[in-house]
Amino acid sequence: MIKKLTVLLSLSILYGCGSDVPSIFKPETESSAKNFENDIHGTYASTYSPLKSKNIVIRNATIFDGNGNKFLDYDLHFSDGKIKNLGVDLEVQGAREIDATGKYVTPGIVDNHSHMGVYPAPGVRTSSDGNEATNPVTAEVWAEHSVWSQDPQYKLALAGGVTTFHVLPGSANLFGGRGVTLKNVSANTVPDMKFPDAPHSLKMACGENPKRVYRSRGPSTRMGNVAGYRKAWIGAENHKKRLERDPEHRDIKNETLVGVLDGKILVHNHCYRADEMATMINISQEFGYKVSTFHHGVEAYKIADLLADEGICAALWADWWGFKHEAYDMTIANIAIVDQARGGTGCAIVHSDSASGIQRLNQEAAKALAAGRRAGFEISEARAMTWLTKNPAKSLGILDKTGTLDLGKDADLVIWDGNPFSVYTKAEQVYIDGALTFDKASNFMPHTDFDIGIKEWEEK
Amino acid sequence: MRLIRFLILFPFFLFPHADDMYLLKGGNVFLPNVGFVKKDILVDEGLIISIEDEIDSSVSENIINSDGKYITPGLIVFSALGLIEIGALPETIDIRSETYNAGFNPSDAFNPFSQAVRLNRSKGVTSTVNIPSASGYFAGLLSYTKINNGLKQKKQGPLGLLTSYGQSYDDSRAANLMFIEDLFSYVRNGYDSTKADQIQFFYGTDNEYRFTKRDLEAIQKVINKEMPLVVRVNKATDILKVLEMAKSENINLVLWEANEGHMVAEEISKAEVPVIMDPLNNIPGSFDSLNATYENVSRLHIAGVKLAFYYDQSSGAHNAYLATQSAGNAVALGVSYNEALASVTSNPAEIFDIKNVGVIAIGYDADLSIWDNDPLELMTQVETVFIDGSKQDLSNRYDELTERYTKEEELPNSYRSR
Repeated sequence: MIKKLTVLLSLSILYGCGSDVPSIFKPETESSAKNFENDIHGTYASTYSPLKSKNIVIRNATIFDGNGNKFLDYDLHFSDGKIKNLGVDLEVQGAREIDATGKYVTPGIVDNHSHMGVYPAPGVRTSSDGNEATNPVTAEVWAEHSVWSQDPQYKLALAGGVTTFHVLPGSANLFGGRGVTLKNVSANTVPDMKFPDAPHSLKMACGENPKRVYRSRGPSTRMGNVAGYRKAWIGAENHKKRLERDPEHRDIKNETLVGVLDGKILVHNHCYRADEMATMINISQEFGYKVSTFHHGVEAYKIADLLADEGICAALWADWWGFKHEAYDMTIANIAIVDQARGGTGCAIVHSDSASGIQRLNQEAAKALAAGRRAGFEISEARAMTWLTKNPAKSLGILDKTGTLDLGKDADLVIWDGNPFSVYTKAEQVYIDGALTFDKASNFMPHTDFDIGIKEWEEK
Repeated sequence: MRLIRFLILFPFFLFPHADDMYLLKGGNVFLPNVGFVKKDILVDEGLIISIEDEIDSSVSENIINSDGKYITPGLIVFSALGLIEIGALPETIDIRSETYNAGFNPSDAFNPFSQAVRLNRSKGVTSTVNIPSASGYFAGLLSYTKINNGLKQKKQGPLGLLTSYGQSYDDSRAANLMFIEDLFSYVRNGYDSTKADQIQFFYGTDNEYRFTKRDLEAIQKVINKEMPLVVRVNKATDILKVLEMAKSENINLVLWEANEGHMVAEEISKAEVPVIMDPLNNIPGSFDSLNATYENVSRLHIAGVKLAFYYDQSSGAHNAYLATQSAGNAVALGVSYNEALASVTSNPAEIFDIKNVGVIAIGYDADLSIWDNDPLELMTQVETVFIDGSKQDLSNRYDELTERYTKEEELPNSYRSR
């Protein structure tokens, strides 16, 4: 359906397609003196412990399973924090029953692009902690060390059905640092929120932002940006070689970059323009790493086939555009075109990058779905649900744990009071690891310390 | 005047086939104080001239079959449409001024060929209340512009003078209020526009605030109640202060944003002050909005406050049409459907006394949007738009880009004609 672009041809000539990378660029043996990735972040590892799980069977719901399927009048059973069964007229002993006639059940929404915690509310200068804009390469910083556990925004996202979110550093730098995946739970420490065994990400940024921030000292051009990425990767390769003879050597910046080269840290690359995304793929091939996801790719539709061929996800807004030049060539069909590329093998994700947008990602998906249908694609609501659940979970390396309602996965799910693609629909209940964390009817939700003593009015 | 025009046109019922006459047949028409009703609408010479259960098809050659469709007044948005092309490129932005503040009116800079204008028109927007952003105590004048195809657009205004009140990095909010009082007092009592030495007013330790004759005249219009002062304000106590100030200065007031408005909803309602807001603003994003909540919109609505909606995440102009999404959410948050739809059509016109637009009624401008479903729903598409009775070209760059990249052709897309 989508035309193969000339840029893809030139890639094939230079490097060959996809995994057919010349062997000199292939990753060598894994090595690192202090590889936090071997024990998933070492002393900074997750200490998350779920609330007590319910034992519940939800009856007669319309269920989107997150894999692209829709089940009418189905039952879902979960207990001990896990999805136990999905079927018709399930026979379950001892579970609480919820009649969900007329209601919808979906996996918990996963937002793979958030700055909650690092740009918390209220947005004051003293807690503006998302961009270490002091050097174009700050691969050494970790977003989780900026996250404010008392940010009052988490619960607002929870009320929108978000059970997992990924916090990234900002896009001021070529390499912004490590991102972290969090369960949307309230806790007093960040490790208590960390999604167990979720890999770190590395935030990279293309285009206007780094060259604007560093224009006086460089990079000040897009070619300067690219030289900056390559220089850093060469440094990482050198560090890796040095580790072979000096395994105790520490280099905080290169530990992150080598984590990427070893395939343990996932690259999440802010990149709007199609030609720049293609360049970033060239770079990944030169150094033998893989881009997990391009973020904000307003022009992703222009290289949808290339992204599908490379197995790279695109995390996109439904309709944001025009706030900068590289966000000018917008189409609201972007997400659908990426999704439908190469016979529907594309990986499209609806992301927020906004503490407001994260509260209504279902609505963003609805607009993208409508635009896709208008462009002539036959896309089901069940398929569009994968943009909010399965695909972002895949892009974060946690699809084996959440993102679909497959048996044995974490019981992260949402009961909606109607079709989640309607503007009038609200999340009624949200469960994380089987524990009720949001209940609209009883106004139950977590409150961070920031909320204490603030409110000067009575809720209805 | 309107009535006379209508009577003169009336004989054309008998002798139809005027080129610009359209009959919209069988649509669900959004009528003021009623809601959606199945009606036929006849449009001629730019105006709505008849709304009936059944209008004979013989009156016009141009019949728009609207069976099962929804017809609303064209959306009136609050935006910088036509005044911002690309947010990060100041040279494409015309809402700012260093020279003028209160008297600054950006509407002459309106660019009808802006891609944002084209997109918004294709999404059911027929006009915009332009938002200025001058630096200083005042942001400038609000004005009204239609966004029809072509070189010329009808404009109205100025409609109001925009300022903000609340937290700032330098002066206390108390000092800001004192300044406004002093300035108003000067314009009211000391200012004489005929005296050359008084055509400018300087203020501040280094005379850093300059008010030219234009600026002072704009303030005079507010004092004379020719237009309201529009105040962007969030904190409940600040809202009360602004209400008090408007009362003591005897000026008309419109509130903007009002994230904590719900805490003083009764006071706002009692003062009969309307509120322009985004119902989606529920984040305690500043210390002035610590009590921001989704409940804001329904509490203001229940208190009887006249509301108009904008979509705050529109990047100023580009997605202003998503005011319908804010309105749809407002319904889910407890606002009645008809009031939510009025908040993006008739209420903006009512609040700012914009003449002859915002409702579907005989004699009003034929600014109409035809939707394939509920206009507040996310997946609804716009099919036809009329501005001043003229059927609009809804083509836009974004649909063309979509087509360019979804069409299988022999040549690479850069080599195809548009």
